[in-house]
Amino acid sequence: MQPKPHSRPRTDSLADAWLARWPERQILVWSALTVGLGFLMVIGSGYADGRPTDPRALLPLGLYALSLAIMHLILVSARFQGDQILVGTLAFLAGFGLLAQYRMGGIRLEDLSTPDLYLLPGGVLTMLAVGLALMRGRFERLADWTWAWAGISLVLVALLLVFGHRYRGAVYGAGLVTPTELLKVTVVLFLAGFIDRHGRRLGNWGKAAVPIPPLRALLPLALFWILLAGLLLLQRDLGLFVVLSVTLLLMLFVGTGRRGYLILGALLASAAGYLILEIFAHGQRRIAAWLSPFEDPTGNSWQILQGLSGMYSGGLWGEGFGEGHPEYTPIAQSDFIYAVIGEELGFVGCTLLLIFFLILFGRMLEIADRTRSNFGRLLCVGLTSVLVIQTFLNLGGVTKFIPLTGITLPFISHGGSSLVTGFVSLGLILAISERSPARRQGAQSPRTPTGRLRAARETRPDQAKRARKR
Amino acid sequence: MSPPLDPAIWPSLRLALHIAFFMAIFFLLKQILELREMAQLRHLARPKGAFRIPLVMIAIAFGALLIYQASWQLTGMLRPQFIAFMQLHDRREFNPAHWIRRGRILDRNGEVLAYSEEIQGKVYRLYPDGPVFSPVVGYSQPRFGSTGMEAVANVHLNGGAPADLSGWGELGRQIVGGGQGPRGQDLRLTLDADLQRMAVARIGERRGAILLMDPNDGDILVLASVPSYDPNRISSDLFMSQDPSAPLLNRVTQGLYPPGSTFKIAVAAMALERGFDERIDCPADGYTTSSRYPKIRDHEYYSALEHGSRWKGHGRIDMRRALSRSSNVFFAKLGVIEGHDAFRALGERMLMNRQITLHRTPYGTYAMRTGRMPRLSDRDLYGLAQLAIGQGKLLVTPAYMGLLTAAVARQGIAVRPRLLDRDPPQGVARFMSADTANRLADMMRTVVAEGTARGIDTPDLSIAGKTGTAQNPQGASHSWFVGFAPTQRPTLAIAVLVEEGGYGSAVAAPIARDLLLAAHAKGD
Repeated sequence: MQPKPHSRPRTDSLADAWLARWPERQILVWSALTVGLGFLMVIGSGYADGRPTDPRALLPLGLYALSLAIMHLILVSARFQGDQILVGTLAFLAGFGLLAQYRMGGIRLEDLSTPDLYLLPGGVLTMLAVGLALMRGRFERLADWTWAWAGISLVLVALLLVFGHRYRGAVYGAGLVTPTELLKVTVVLFLAGFIDRHGRRLGNWGKAAVPIPPLRALLPLALFWILLAGLLLLQRDLGLFVVLSVTLLLMLFVGTGRRGYLILGALLASAAGYLILEIFAHGQRRIAAWLSPFEDPTGNSWQILQGLSGMYSGGLWGEGFGEGHPEYTPIAQSDFIYAVIGEELGFVGCTLLLIFFLILFGRMLEIADRTRSNFGRLLCVGLTSVLVIQTFLNLGGVTKFIPLTGITLPFISHGGSSLVTGFVSLGLILAISERSPARRQGAQSPRTPTGRLRAARETRPDQAKRARKR
Repeated sequence: MSPPLDPAIWPSLRLALHIAFFMAIFFLLKQILELREMAQLRHLARPKGAFRIPLVMIAIAFGALLIYQASWQLTGMLRPQFIAFMQLHDRREFNPAHWIRRGRILDRNGEVLAYSEEIQGKVYRLYPDGPVFSPVVGYSQPRFGSTGMEAVANVHLNGGAPADLSGWGELGRQIVGGGQGPRGQDLRLTLDADLQRMAVARIGERRGAILLMDPNDGDILVLASVPSYDPNRISSDLFMSQDPSAPLLNRVTQGLYPPGSTFKIAVAAMALERGFDERIDCPADGYTTSSRYPKIRDHEYYSALEHGSRWKGHGRIDMRRALSRSSNVFFAKLGVIEGHDAFRALGERMLMNRQITLHRTPYGTYAMRTGRMPRLSDRDLYGLAQLAIGQGKLLVTPAYMGLLTAAVARQGIAVRPRLLDRDPPQGVARFMSADTANRLADMMRTVVAEGTARGIDTPDLSIAGKTGTAQNPQGASHSWFVGFAPTQRPTLAIAVLVEEGGYGSAVAAPIARDLLLAAHAKGD
C-alpha cells in the first residue's frame, strides 16, 4: 500500500502527520535494515574466525533501530515539518558510523553501562531536543545571545586549557572528552548573529577604486578571532582553527555578498599557514609526510601508508565488513575510519559513503537557500561549512590528497563529543528547515521580545496564504 | 545464541551478505532520490537555486578526492614505492601486493637464485639453493617482510609501470577482478653460483665466511656465510631462537672477528708508507712493553715447546721475512716504534669503524661494516703492540679483510665491492700508495712461496696472501687466509675465515687456494 502523501498538512491531525512523514519512515526502515545486514556481516566473520558469539552483540543494532523508531514517532506526534530526507540520510550515516565503530571494537559490550552504547541514542535525542525546542521559527531567538555565544566559546577553550590534560599531542578534558568540539556550534552561532546584525556595515567596502574592508565594523570580530586563535593554537588544535576560519570567511561572504572577503581570506590564510608551519614542528612533519611519504615510511608516514595499504588491499569491492585487518593502521577507529571503510567495502563503499554525505550537504545548502530568516540562513551556511570542511579535511588527509590535519569524520569517526556536536548542528538545521519565522525587514528587524512575538504571530497567516497559493 | 554455522559455508555466505549489503545501500539511495519529490519543504520559500553552485563545488572536490584515492586504491601497482612499502610493511595477507610475481634473481651467468611461482592461487617465492645464497639474496615473504637484495632491490623486482597496451589491459582486468599481479624485472647479481656453492660446501659443517671479489671492478663472486637460514622456510622460530650458530648473521659483512696476523698487512703498509726500512731483533723469548704483561711470542716458540726442544729465535730480520714467517715479535715492536698517531691515521685512512655501502636504493641499503678499532690512550703501549698483531680489542669483518687485500692487489686503491654490475666501479679510498702496494704484494707472494702458506703454493696459479691464526677468547683460534691471484695483474682477491678452525695455514688457506684455482679456471 502506498499512501498518498498529504499535499496540505495543515489540519494538524495525527493521521495527517503520520502520512506526511511517510518518506522518512521508508528511509529509516531501509537504513535500519541495511545497517542490520552490516552487523550480520561483522558478527558472521567474527563467528567464522572462531570468536565466541554473544547475543549482546545485537544490542547496538537494537538500540539504533529503537532510537530511529522513537525519533520518528516523536517527530510525527510533534507535527514536525522539518526535512525528512535530511533526517533519513543522517540516520543512515550515523548507522554506518555505528557499524564501523562496532566493527572496530569501539563499542564494548562487557558492561551494559558503557557510554559507547548510548552515544548514538543520546545524540539522536539531543538532536530531537534541539530541533523541537527551536521549531516554529524559535531558532531566531538564538540570535539575541550573540555575545553570549562568543563568551561561551572562549570560556570553553580557556577552561580546557586550564583543566585539560595532554594526550597524543592535543588537549582533552576529563575522560578524553573534547569540549572544544562544541565550538563548531557556538562560534557559528556567534558569527551568524553578528553578521546578521551588522551585515550592511560589513558589506560596505566603500566606493573608492580600491575597495577597503570596513575595518571599524570588523574590529570586534577580529578581536574575538585573535583571542580564539591564540587559545586554540596554545592547545595545538590547528585543525579546528582552520575549520572555523574558513567557515568565518564563507559566512562573511554569504552574509554580505562581498567576494573581497574570500580574496582577503585567501591572502590571510596563506600568510597564517606559512607562519604556523614555521612555528609548529608537527605541522612541518605532516607536510613532509604528505609531500614525500616514502622518505620516512616507518616513521612519520607510517599511519597514512598503512591506511593506504589497507585501501589498496580492499580494491574495488573490499573484503567485506569484518574481513580486513584495519587494526594494522594505528588509531584507525578515529581519524582513519575512512581507510577502514576503503579496506573492507572497497572503492565502491567509499564512493557510496561520499554520495550520502553529498546528499546531506545538498539538503543543508538547500535549506539555507530557502529559509526566509537571514540569521537562519547564515547559521545553516555556517554549520554546513563546518561539516563540509571537516569531512573534506578528514577524507583528504586519509587519502593523502592533502596533508593530515587530525580532524574527525563527522558521524563516522570514534568520539562522543564530535558525534554529539554533529547531532546538535543537525538539530539546528532541522529547526531551520521546519519553518521560517515571519519575514523580517532586512537586518534591522525588531529585536525586542514583543516585536519578535508579533513576528511569530504573523507567521501563520503568511504560511497559510502561501500554502493555498500552491 | 546464533544457530551453529558451518565455517565451510561462510565464504559463500560472506559473499552473499557483501552483495546484499551493497544492494541495500543502492536501494536506499534510489529511495532517497525518489522520495525527494514527495518530501519537499513546502513551507519554506521557493528555492532560489543559489545552493547549486556550492553543491557542485563540493561534488567536484569530492570527485577529485575519489580520483586521487583511486590512484592509490585501484592503480596502486603503478606506484612502485607504494608496492615496496606494502611488501615490506603490510601484514595483510590478502593484500594483492603480496601476489605480484617478482622478477627472478640471477647469478652472473644467468643461473636462477630466486624466482616466484604461483601454486594454487598463491604466489610463493622460491630459492632453489636454500641457504647458500641467503646472505646476499635474503628472503621475501608476506609475513616477515624481506631482507637482503630482495628488500634493497624491491622496486626493480616488482617491475615498473606496464610497458605496452596489453599490459594496461591486464591492469584493468586486475583492478576489477583482482587477478594476478604484474611480473617484475629480473635482477642479475655479480655472484658466481658455482663458486658460491663450492665455498659453502668447503666450509661444510663448520662456521665461516668467504668473500671472493675482483679487485679491479669490485664484482663480488662469492659472499658466503655459513651456517645460514633457508629462505624457503622462514618462520618465527628463526627469529626467536637463541641459536649460537646465528644463521641470521651475515658473517661476511657484519660478523666481527679478531683479524690476527692477517692485519699485519695493514700494519706493514702503514710502516712502509712512513719510510720504515730496517731490521728488528726478534728474540725467541718474545717481547713485552712492561713486565706486568705477558710476553708476545712467535708461534715457533710454542711449537718448539710442544716438541720439547728450544727455538733460537728469528734474530734480526727485515719486514719481508717477518711477514713471511708471521713474526709477532717483529710486528709488536714495529707497532710500538710507529706509535699511536700512526695507528690512528691508519684507522682513518683504511676506513676503520665505518659502513661501506655495496648497493643503495631508497628502500634499503646493502652495506658492510669494516671493523672496530679501539681508541687507545697514549700510555697504552701494550695495547698498541697487540693491535699491531691483530689482537687485543681490534675486530674486523671478513669483507673488510677482503677489501684490504683487494686494495693491495689493486695498486693501493680499495674499489667498492659491488653486487650488481650496473653499478659503476668506484674507488672508496686509497689505502696505500701504489709503490707500497707493489712492495707489499711482493712480500705476500713470499708468504705463499716460502712462508707460512707454502703448503698451498701451486704451479698452476701464482697466489699471494697472508695466513692468520687469531686467538679467540671464547674458544679455539679462528683460521684466516687472505690473498689474491695471479700475483702479477691480480683479478681475484679473497678472504676466508673459519671460526675456531685452528691454524690459518692448515684450514683457511687450502679453501682459498681451491676457490682461487676454480675461479681462475672459469676465467671470472
